Amino acid sequence: MNFKLKLFVATAVLGFSASALAAEPIKIGVAGPFTGGSAPMGVSMRDGVKLAVAEINAKGGVLGRPLQLIERDDEAKNERGVQIAQELINKEHVVATVGYINTGVALASQRFYQDAKIPVMNNVATGSIVTKQFADQPENYIFRNSANDTIQSSMIVHEAIENRKFKKVAILADSTNYGQLGREDLEKALEKKGVKAVAVEKYNLKDVDMTPQLLKAKQAGAEAVLTYGIGPELAQIANGMEKLGWKVPMIGSWTLSMGNFIDNAGKNGNGARMPQTFIQDPNTPKRKAFIDAYVKAYNPPNGRMPSPVSAAQGYDSVYLLAAAIKQAGSTDGPKIKAALESLSEKIDGVVTTYNKPYTKDNHEAITADITVFGEVKDGHVVLAK
Amino acid sequence: MNKKILAASVIGLAVLVLYPVLIPNPYYVHLLETILIYAILLFGLDIVVGYTGQVSLGHAGLFGIGSYVSGVLVFKLGAPIWVALPASVAGAAFFGAVLALPALRVTGPYLAMVTLAFGTIIQILINEMTFLTEGPMGIKIAKPTLLGHKLSPVEFYYLVAVLMVLSLIVVHRILKSHLGRAFEALRDSPIASDCMGVSVYRYKVYAFVISAGLAGLAGGLYAYSEEYISPNTYNFELTIMFLLAMIMGGRKTRSGALIGALIVVMLPSLLADIELFRQIAVAAAVLGVIGAAIALAKKTSTVRGVIVPLAATIGMAAFSFKLENIVDWRLTIFGLMTLFVVYYLQEGIVGYLQGLFGKGAHHVHAVAGAGGVKPFEHAQGGAPGSVLLDAQQVLMQFGGLKALNQVNLTVQQGAVHGLIGPNGSGKSTMMNVLTGIYRPTGGQVQFAGAVISGRTPSQIALGGVARTFQNVQLFGEMTATENVLVGLHNTFRSNVADVMLQTPRCKQEEAAARARAAAILEFVGLSGMANEEARNLPYGKQRLLEIGRALGLSPRLLLLDEPAAGLTAPDIKELMAIIRKIREHGITVILIEHHMDVVMALSDTVTVLDFGQKICEGAPATVQCDPRVIDAYLGGSSEAHGGIAPAAAT
Amino acid sequence: MDILLQLVFSGIALGMIYAVIAFGYQLTFATSGTLNFGQGEALMLGALVGLSLVSNIHGGPYMHYLLMIPLVIVFGALQGVLVEWIGVRPSIKIKSEFGWIMSTIALAIIFKNVAENIWGKDDLTFPSPLDSAPFQILGANVQPMQVAVVVGALAIMLVVEIFNRYSIYGKAVVATANDRDAAGLMGINTGMVITFSYALSSATAAFAGVLVAPLTLTGATMGASLGLKAFAVAIIGGLTSGVGAIVGGLILGIAETTTGFYISTGYKEVPGLLLLLLVLAVKPSGLFGKAAIKKV
Repeated sequence: MNFKLKLFVATAVLGFSASALAAEPIKIGVAGPFTGGSAPMGVSMRDGVKLAVAEINAKGGVLGRPLQLIERDDEAKNERGVQIAQELINKEHVVATVGYINTGVALASQRFYQDAKIPVMNNVATGSIVTKQFADQPENYIFRNSANDTIQSSMIVHEAIENRKFKKVAILADSTNYGQLGREDLEKALEKKGVKAVAVEKYNLKDVDMTPQLLKAKQAGAEAVLTYGIGPELAQIANGMEKLGWKVPMIGSWTLSMGNFIDNAGKNGNGARMPQTFIQDPNTPKRKAFIDAYVKAYNPPNGRMPSPVSAAQGYDSVYLLAAAIKQAGSTDGPKIKAALESLSEKIDGVVTTYNKPYTKDNHEAITADITVFGEVKDGHVVLAK
Repeated sequence: MNKKILAASVIGLAVLVLYPVLIPNPYYVHLLETILIYAILLFGLDIVVGYTGQVSLGHAGLFGIGSYVSGVLVFKLGAPIWVALPASVAGAAFFGAVLALPALRVTGPYLAMVTLAFGTIIQILINEMTFLTEGPMGIKIAKPTLLGHKLSPVEFYYLVAVLMVLSLIVVHRILKSHLGRAFEALRDSPIASDCMGVSVYRYKVYAFVISAGLAGLAGGLYAYSEEYISPNTYNFELTIMFLLAMIMGGRKTRSGALIGALIVVMLPSLLADIELFRQIAVAAAVLGVIGAAIALAKKTSTVRGVIVPLAATIGMAAFSFKLENIVDWRLTIFGLMTLFVVYYLQEGIVGYLQGLFGKGAHHVHAVAGAGGVKPFEHAQGGAPGSVLLDAQQVLMQFGGLKALNQVNLTVQQGAVHGLIGPNGSGKSTMMNVLTGIYRPTGGQVQFAGAVISGRTPSQIALGGVARTFQNVQLFGEMTATENVLVGLHNTFRSNVADVMLQTPRCKQEEAAARARAAAILEFVGLSGMANEEARNLPYGKQRLLEIGRALGLSPRLLLLDEPAAGLTAPDIKELMAIIRKIREHGITVILIEHHMDVVMALSDTVTVLDFGQKICEGAPATVQCDPRVIDAYLGGSSEAHGGIAPAAAT
Repeated sequence: MDILLQLVFSGIALGMIYAVIAFGYQLTFATSGTLNFGQGEALMLGALVGLSLVSNIHGGPYMHYLLMIPLVIVFGALQGVLVEWIGVRPSIKIKSEFGWIMSTIALAIIFKNVAENIWGKDDLTFPSPLDSAPFQILGANVQPMQVAVVVGALAIMLVVEIFNRYSIYGKAVVATANDRDAAGLMGINTGMVITFSYALSSATAAFAGVLVAPLTLTGATMGASLGLKAFAVAIIGGLTSGVGAIVGGLILGIAETTTGFYISTGYKEVPGLLLLLLVLAVKPSGLFGKAAIKKV
């Protein structure tokens, strides 16, 4: 009796302490623009992330501990990103951060994580140098699971020059890091094909009147406009072309799939083409399950995800990170990084199935062969024929 | 320094030094660092908005210039910090001057618009000149290296703290000096300021340039502190935050700047956490209720006066419980706080607290005794009886109205020259023409042989012409002594550097001026009220104070505009005695008055104006009997209107 | 040459919008010596309220564009009264210039934030009542809506001018503008006149909002930049002259579109702001304003 009581008490105490330990959540930072022109991407990413975390926690979490998200809105502003990074690292003590939609914000903020040896999983930002920023250092803590701009720019150029046989193209890019670095990638890809853009124009965020840039492109005889920007301004380009009575095809980076481009451009946006890792099309069971869950949880207007690519990549980024934490058996930054670079488990994601996506030198999970072309058609993005 | 300030300073310094030791988390150290940097800028902004009363909507732009000068120098040229920071100060001061010189010629809303435009232009230029600034992509810099050692974040924090304390001391010294008095004077009464030889325009520019330099220093430190700068940061919202910080903390105080900086830096974090916000809103509502109860009990306010702020604080607390997420409403909270502070907390938190404890603004006390110093010199130059002032064919036209129509006025040195006439005859207009406030449409004014019409009022004042005003133009918020000290501004040769370093010359001049001020106050009989704020003085004493202030210029010619207006009989006797004493010192006096007994008793010559024209001139007795003069005052002979003939003239 | 003409036409349409907003500044400055630093936000609110009525974002469309206009004008008037009552009247009473500058700015910030929360932070498209296909004038493309903007702007300014000249209430406004104290002594309720001028000023801004919205994107941030440039126009043209506002607006609009093309779109706001600084330095009363000698 005495012994049984002691055993009972001991078990109870152990049980409580174990559950107390088990209850301590693993903090993951989520940084992105939840307001402003980039918000469709940020919100979709965050919602995809939240969906994944809910699923994982329902199954018992990672290492017996639930995942806890610390969300911060960087408003697509580089300096906000810097402040948030410091807050997440020093005040919230996150184990890792997923996010960054805007290349500029990523480039400005990542070094704090690198210095603190905390992994960053870029799930949307596509600027090519994002994962190369610290490539010269022995340990690189920046990872990515979106299609980077080197891949996208060569696809865009291939479509314009090889497929559609255009000889004269114009580049319209915004003045952010994303737009300007993307423009550089486009120019490099064009050079490889021996072509030079006949007009290279720049515009600022929140610009409304694109007439000067379009007039210069028209005067130079451009047959297509290659874009690197985000939704609202891309819509102004499309509408501006109609105002001028000069309609040429728009082929550009994946942001032409943003809800605020499609809605604001209306019929002027039809036919725009862009590389995509994910289209809102339930063509596999996994994708159907994801789309249904997303629409059910977040009820987007007309059932259309504001940025399907961001949602899917956000979802996948959490699963990749969770698998790494599980494999590392700890929340220690360097150990998670090492696990990511040698993931043994095959991860069934929404975008694709990830089989050893990263190595020490390659921190890019998405390759050119899984990226397809999407096309805007009547208010939706469909697979381009 | 008195004991309370000394104690407060020691505590403050202790907090600054021990903070990173007690709270080593880099995030929180960085937070305090930002507060200190903002405080440096706010010290400067206070000079412009709090002291000189100009609304500047462009300080975020100057802050941006400071950041980018340092940023570009470090990024492109690898410049060390002891080059970058002074360059930031100089760069921002330069742009401040470029902006101030044209902008400060205009007042009020014009200046606000100009600074707003300036701030916008600066942001655009930083954004577009990518070859220099990297545009929207921003500039990354690292913590600076000092003496070969790269500063750690905590060491940089100490550097910022040291610079903040130095800025505080420098600003304090400037504001306590004759420069600070000039700044206050030009806000309280720009006209009087000009006429005391303190050129309003010039000092507004000084104030603005000093504040720009401080903004530049803050900007440079900010670049190192954030390690990343981009054009986005220096926007209109930041300018409003600075203004809000300043008015919330309390103008004209250094502690106000610190409190204000604390509030605006903590505000976003506060608003991000709804629970914390609710607690603070409830606490504020409770304080509001207590404060209102005290005010009503002490009868310092009426029910009507407290109802609005009370409703606001309680309403805010209720609202906070209804919301789940306050971040989206951050700017509304901002705006509401601004409205609240502008109408109900005009003196800011520091001012409010000072009021609660019954302390007024802090004035340095006057010197006890004059110590035998002469209040003003005997008038120098010229011979008694020679022509001192010669106004020839003066024409002053406002649109179609000729306020002065070809008036000649000659005043002899050493005389008391009366100037009388019915209301609207042009007397005050003549005063304003003589002192340069109006530029005459035609004609010329000569003083001591030189042409003065066309010169600025402050030039004329420094040339030896002083005046008082028909509507008292004292510097209301300053004490009697301080008012006279502004009149004595011309005796100071020290410049900004002297003041900042408190050189012997500066200290001597201040001591000498204070002694003279005490002597002047004794001369006009106001020694007992030396430390009283001018707006609290009885009306009669205010008029005497104006005379005292004017005497600070050691003038050769003193223009008195209706000095006896509104005075009681004993005050008038005192006034007449003072005017006689002034005349004994060889100072020439032009006296505008309606009190005929005063004019006639004191004047050697009297000139009479009517409808802008001189109708009579001569000895008082002659002028008194002149029929034209009587007509002018009494409105024409009654015979002309078919009335009774007047009694025979006496 | 085509291009230049195209730019001039765009500049004229743009400039007329600036002129209408500047006109609003003049109205309140004349009667009260104050300006509404949130005039741009009045335009923005008018545009958004109009959007809610004619588009489907809030369960509409509820009515046709033309029917919406009077409603928006009434809304603008009410908003103006609110601004005057909260922001300006207390400041005039305590004679604080800093007061009304800061409070109109504070109200502007509040309006913008409230708009962001009601209509969202994204920019929305305003359905154009006219066909968006351009027609040709002298070889340059002009959209019908741009012509409507110019006509509408001139019309509203003309209406207010006629009102001022020929109705007794208009005369009361002019009297208050000339000499507030004397007008008060004549029995004119100057407080009411000032409130009225703010109502009128915001109403014209709201009207300008629904005019310009189909040409650009409508969103919570559209007002700030327009308000600032209209300031420049009001200063350049002169705060006392209606013709000055129009001329100033045209100068600024055309300078903006030509700079945007020939130099760079990033710099397009600079000439206007520089011109503002220049005019203030040289002739503060503006190109068409009357220099007043201050009487002491």
